[in-house]
Amino acid sequence: MTTIRESSADIDAAAARWAARVDRGPLSDKEQADLEAWAARDPRRAGAYAKALAISAHLDRAQGLSAAFSPSTHPVARAADRRRLLATGGVLAAASVVGAVGYGAMSLRGRMTTSKGDIRRAPLSDGSAVTLNTATTIRAAFDGKMRRVDLLRGEALFDVAKDPARPFVVLAGDVRVRAVGTSFTVRAHADGEVGVIVREGVVEVWRGSQGKPVRLAAEHAIQVASLGALTPTVVGAAAVDRALAWRQGQIDLDGLTLGQAAEEFARYSDRRIVIDDPTVARLKMTGLFSASDPDGFAKAAAMSLGLTATPRADGVRLSRG
Amino acid sequence: MTLATQERAIWLARNALPHEPALRAWLSRRPLAGLEVDDIVQETYAILAALEAVDHIQTPRTYMFEVAKSVILRSLRRSRIVAFEALAEAEALVPPSAEPSPETVAADRQELSRIAALIAGLPTKCREAFTLRKVHGLSQREVAQRMGVSENTVEKHVGKGIGVLMKAMGRGGNGRFQASKDRSSEDPIEVDHDPREQRRH
Repeated sequence: MTTIRESSADIDAAAARWAARVDRGPLSDKEQADLEAWAARDPRRAGAYAKALAISAHLDRAQGLSAAFSPSTHPVARAADRRRLLATGGVLAAASVVGAVGYGAMSLRGRMTTSKGDIRRAPLSDGSAVTLNTATTIRAAFDGKMRRVDLLRGEALFDVAKDPARPFVVLAGDVRVRAVGTSFTVRAHADGEVGVIVREGVVEVWRGSQGKPVRLAAEHAIQVASLGALTPTVVGAAAVDRALAWRQGQIDLDGLTLGQAAEEFARYSDRRIVIDDPTVARLKMTGLFSASDPDGFAKAAAMSLGLTATPRADGVRLSRG
Repeated sequence: MTLATQERAIWLARNALPHEPALRAWLSRRPLAGLEVDDIVQETYAILAALEAVDHIQTPRTYMFEVAKSVILRSLRRSRIVAFEALAEAEALVPPSAEPSPETVAADRQELSRIAALIAGLPTKCREAFTLRKVHGLSQREVAQRMGVSENTVEKHVGKGIGVLMKAMGRGGNGRFQASKDRSSEDPIEVDHDPREQRRH
């Protein structure tokens, strides 16, 4: 790259000029197009423009509060301006109420489902929030004593609002996870195992059949099979973040083999990554990839590992040579 | 790149501007191989401006920090050759947890007096135009008439004023904090309630 990078100070100055132009009155079509073209050249420009506009709006909001400025006040202009702002706020509030009602109608008696490839975040009535990963179904049932959520399949992140009087319990098959106020994920694996990762706070995990709970602190994880001891492991903050990459529609491949990666992609899409050669399936990968692009991943993997990616009707095959 | 709307600008003024000093302080304490804090901040605003909706953002401060972190990671990953340590360090960045909310009103007052001082420091004509427009709420056209100058001149004065505040705000030490849980509200779902509980209300 030999182009000279525009300094952020220059960008700020240009953005301030645009904000002043907008402050003057509506832009002509030509000016609007110029502004858009200018901002499209560099995301830093769009950002500086947003900040300049924010400062301009901020000052409008502050009108009348600043008694330090004496000369000839204009109560009429000021009041009109405040009315305009209030009117805008009212419309926004009304719009968000309509939105909430529309979405609420989608839920059916506390049940919520995502289809393959979807991610959805939703608040629960107690102030907690749940984020569903791909192909996931939960059912929530709260009463005065307990907040119960059944993870019927898939994976979900729970951001639990504090309520010591009503524990928050997630049931995944035989496994129970209890929290008071915390943030954690539960994943029901296809083979019946259940994985729990704690982001914040403390949770307790036990099997419904044998009630001895294990305490799991933040940045700890546990993998619960149908038999065997419950042994938490420390994973660290960075690993927790990576394990939650699905919230941004990404798959974290750090340390996974190609075979495991193909299985991960199969959770999110019907496009298959086929690997027949076991030595290929054992190759290790790293990085974050978009969960919705198994073909792109296969191509990138082929390039970096020296494999051949052959397109198929239902996906792509990875092989040597 | 999606341009900020007026509504989004108002949201940013409330929810992003107050946290910019803290964000800058946080960023400047980290090793950011080849990255400029100014660039990261500008790109952070660009992403906040382009978000489809913001009603779900309950902790704007944390959100803003997370966006800044994603900007760092993205630019590190975009560059072909990245020192492994730099990437690992950036990935391990944890935004400071939100601090309990102090009296926002007092902070607002302080900030206003700061803004007043900044405006007072502008060149005379610029200050006069900026004050009439932004403090007293005249339109740029009205300001031009009152001052006996062209609208273009007023626009330049206003731009100058905004530019000065851009530089000052965000770099000052007026960090304000808000505390609440980070929560989204895209798809509220109804929860089965025990009828007994409803009777208690």
